[in-house]
Amino acid sequence: MIEINEDERDALQEIMNISMGQAADALARLIQTKVSLSIPAIQAMSPEDFQGMINSLSNNWFARQSFTGTIRGEVIMSMHKDGCNALAQVMDFDLPLDEAATEELVLEITNILSAACLQGFTSQLELSTQLNMPAFYYPVQSAHSNEWSSILIIEVEFFIEQMQFDARILIGLSEGSIEQLLIPIKALLED
Amino acid sequence: MPIPVTIADDSALSRKTIKRALPEDWDITIHEAKNGVEALDAVHAGLAEVLFLDLQMPQMDGFEVLKELQQEHQKTIVIVISADIQPAAQALVSSMGAFRFLQKPLKADQLRETLLDVGLL
Repeated sequence: MIEINEDERDALQEIMNISMGQAADALARLIQTKVSLSIPAIQAMSPEDFQGMINSLSNNWFARQSFTGTIRGEVIMSMHKDGCNALAQVMDFDLPLDEAATEELVLEITNILSAACLQGFTSQLELSTQLNMPAFYYPVQSAHSNEWSSILIIEVEFFIEQMQFDARILIGLSEGSIEQLLIPIKALLED
Repeated sequence: MPIPVTIADDSALSRKTIKRALPEDWDITIHEAKNGVEALDAVHAGLAEVLFLDLQMPQMDGFEVLKELQQEHQKTIVIVISADIQPAAQALVSSMGAFRFLQKPLKADQLRETLLDVGLL
């Protein structure tokens, strides 16, 4: 498992908090409604635990979006199915949502949130990454990358109260990338 | 006389970022608070003529601090520095008596401009 100390965890949490604040603002501007956020939770886990966590979110839609560069990983967006219609309505989708429109909605939200979030933390840490296209997926049918011996998960929940919208963003980083991520964090923590 | 300034933020990195961004030529004493309760204590102890205030903090958040300061008719100059950059939060804190709202990540030139604007520099 990856070891990060308390100062590094605090720093990573704060950097993610700022990044997610930018992502929430991007979504809030799109839908003209206030978006609330949870405090980022950061934990190291095994691929098995990670799969278990994903599987427990059985009433959610999922999309994944990988990024490459100085650090590599994947942004996973999980969106509660119940909130989709209300969100679709304010985004001018035709209701009821069919399968294609649901995918389009989830992918659009994923792209907005992950682009703002990734841009937020790479610019704060002066890293260079490129985000790939998001893809809709069903977690039971597609296991996550086996090359990841250990994963650092950063989890944030987004809420829009009036809509019962509930989504969470998970960022998984592979082990080598965590070391890369810690270099600028350690520099920020120096006096 | 140096101006007593308190930086209230639960994140050590964030407090450090704010300290680094403060103008070098500003004659101040710096006190740090890790939550809203400590921030109010600092105000009561006379350590916060200027208060840099985060909104999302454990125990007592920034909104509660603003509310309490308003009820107590405190003259503290509050500058909110927050990761919640949505228009709703900005409007709310200014209605609650905050002098200015600055977005995280904090930029030194923006802070300097704000301090000049408020008449602190």
